[in-house]
Amino acid sequence: MSAYLSGIGVVVGLELKQRVRSVAWYVLLGVSGFLVLVVTAVLGLSLGAFGNDDVGGAVFSALIFFVLLLGTLVSPAVSGNAVNGDRDAGTLATTQVTQASAGQLVLGKFVAAWLTALSFLAVSVPFLIVAVVIGGVPLATVLVAIPVVAVELGVVAAVGVGLSGVIQRPLFSVVVTYLTVAALSLGTLIAFGLAMLTVRTEVTTTYVDVDYEASEFDEQTGEITGEIVCADPVTSTYEVPRADTVWWLLAANPYVVLADAVPPSFDRDGNGLDLFTGIAGQVRQAQIAPEVEDFVDYCAEYDNLYSGSTDYDTVEDVYGKTVPSWFVGLAIHVAIAAVALWGATRATRTPSVRLAKGSRIA
Amino acid sequence: MAAGGIQVEGVRRSFAGVHALVDASLDAPPGAVTGLIGPNGSGKTTLMLILASLLRPDAGSVRVDGVDPVADPAGARRALGWMPDILGSWATLTVRETLVTTGRLHGIGKEAARQRAAELIALIGLEQLADRPTRVLSRGQKQKLSLARALVHDPSVLLLDEPASGLDPAARIELRVLVRRLADEGRTVLVSSHVLAELDEMADGAVYLEQGATASAERLERARTSLREWRIRTLDPGEQGAGLVAAAARAAGIEAERMRADHQGLLVQVSGDAEAAALLAALVAGGVRISAFAPAVGDLEHTFLDLGREHLA
Repeated sequence: MSAYLSGIGVVVGLELKQRVRSVAWYVLLGVSGFLVLVVTAVLGLSLGAFGNDDVGGAVFSALIFFVLLLGTLVSPAVSGNAVNGDRDAGTLATTQVTQASAGQLVLGKFVAAWLTALSFLAVSVPFLIVAVVIGGVPLATVLVAIPVVAVELGVVAAVGVGLSGVIQRPLFSVVVTYLTVAALSLGTLIAFGLAMLTVRTEVTTTYVDVDYEASEFDEQTGEITGEIVCADPVTSTYEVPRADTVWWLLAANPYVVLADAVPPSFDRDGNGLDLFTGIAGQVRQAQIAPEVEDFVDYCAEYDNLYSGSTDYDTVEDVYGKTVPSWFVGLAIHVAIAAVALWGATRATRTPSVRLAKGSRIA
Repeated sequence: MAAGGIQVEGVRRSFAGVHALVDASLDAPPGAVTGLIGPNGSGKTTLMLILASLLRPDAGSVRVDGVDPVADPAGARRALGWMPDILGSWATLTVRETLVTTGRLHGIGKEAARQRAAELIALIGLEQLADRPTRVLSRGQKQKLSLARALVHDPSVLLLDEPASGLDPAARIELRVLVRRLADEGRTVLVSSHVLAELDEMADGAVYLEQGATASAERLERARTSLREWRIRTLDPGEQGAGLVAAAARAAGIEAERMRADHQGLLVQVSGDAEAAALLAALVAGGVRISAFAPAVGDLEHTFLDLGREHLA
């Protein structure tokens, strides 16, 4: 086993040596660092203007979502041509005739691509520290958010390396990797929206109003002076989308995974303090089925209209009665990554049976 | 079966309907250089890739140092060193790093790989460029690096695919000397090349491949004994010299139609070594002042051209 690992280690070293010496990598790192700096400054200044003590949580969460976005945008570019790019350069076959197996080659390339993607997370660490210093960021948030981003970057790296092994043309595999990232990040949202349109349910609302003709009012103040007479109940029906039947589509979204995985933080009124809680709260809300029968007795409540009986759920309440989904999403992502790497290993195994059209294997 | 060397028996391989190899058989013994000769597209590289454990043959059996590369690729890879016809190198790595990394991929320890890299750099004479990135190397230097990479794990079988292409004459001579030495150390060397004169000087034997099939022994024998031109140069000028040679040829029983002249001198078609010896004796006896008497084309080229002619006929 240790011989197997050291073989992977040699491949990782080879890959990293090549990346570290390319100018493109430093340019990308520099640009990313600069963008994160700008985002930190803008968030810190604009949110800080409210004079809120807990603004650190908001800055931290917004920043880490930005890092996830940046990482998933850069990662396909640094991983999507790992195998077929070597084939084009004529260096793949020379590694295939050594004792390094197809599995070691693919895993080594995956680890190297992951480490490269993590360097973009590393660049943003100083800015994340700034957010923590501002205050109001629970330790648990930091300890969960960063590893989740790291794993998500690994998933993108694995998909990139995997597709580069399965697809012959480097350009095509990089594009398909981007499309996979887009399918998870945006596609799940679009699918959720479309699915909501198709799955609808009829809601019946019965409404009891005050019979203003029969009741006695003070003409000037509108106060009740005598007996209130209720009007006949009016029933109306309308359709609402059933988000609760399709909410799971969102579970595979990497941003939702990140938001849902981080422990929520609430203020005294039960509202979310950071972006994690805000986004995950929405997804959690989607799990709650709409009430099919609604009875609003306005007439009976007329007396105590301002008594604060509004029974809207706070985000905290919603969290309380719904289930977390991040581990399902993460499991789906890890499964996709594993399948991609397995496919690449199969396609890179030699002696090979198939030879792609128009390509020499050397 | 542990005979060593390379044994190929009835190997067939096609790609999406194109028959790259139809029936290839060869036997390359250890301690010798075997040439693999054939026109472009005859299946030389496909055969090399099968031997290098990169391609699976559709049919037939292959043994590299007694190991079947299909059943035991790792074992075959321990025994074989492959120099591809495509020059690929890790552009940003130095020559030394390339060799160390290749050694490590072969499972050699760090220190041993470093030592082996230094040895090989000295062997191929790239000391000056050892710590420069490989992208600065010329084509010929990359070719040398590619050979060194094939030698990293001290393989007993060497597969060299067009090793001489892109090399200048001096580098070719160096390569020839090196390849000979590697064979003399007891390694099996299979070299494919277009440069037949090159192979003539280093190969102990040759395998002819055309349209995916190796030429049979009988066909080779026939081609070898067919008429072949010998070049004769004399100190006697022009017409006079030609007349003297024609007289000697007649004396040796060679008709005038088998003689022709070109810008470099006279060419006489001879049926074999015995007739060549008789012709030379007649020339000397006739008092012709001979300065050169040799086959006009090399052995391999003669056979190669003759097989091609037979194929066209």
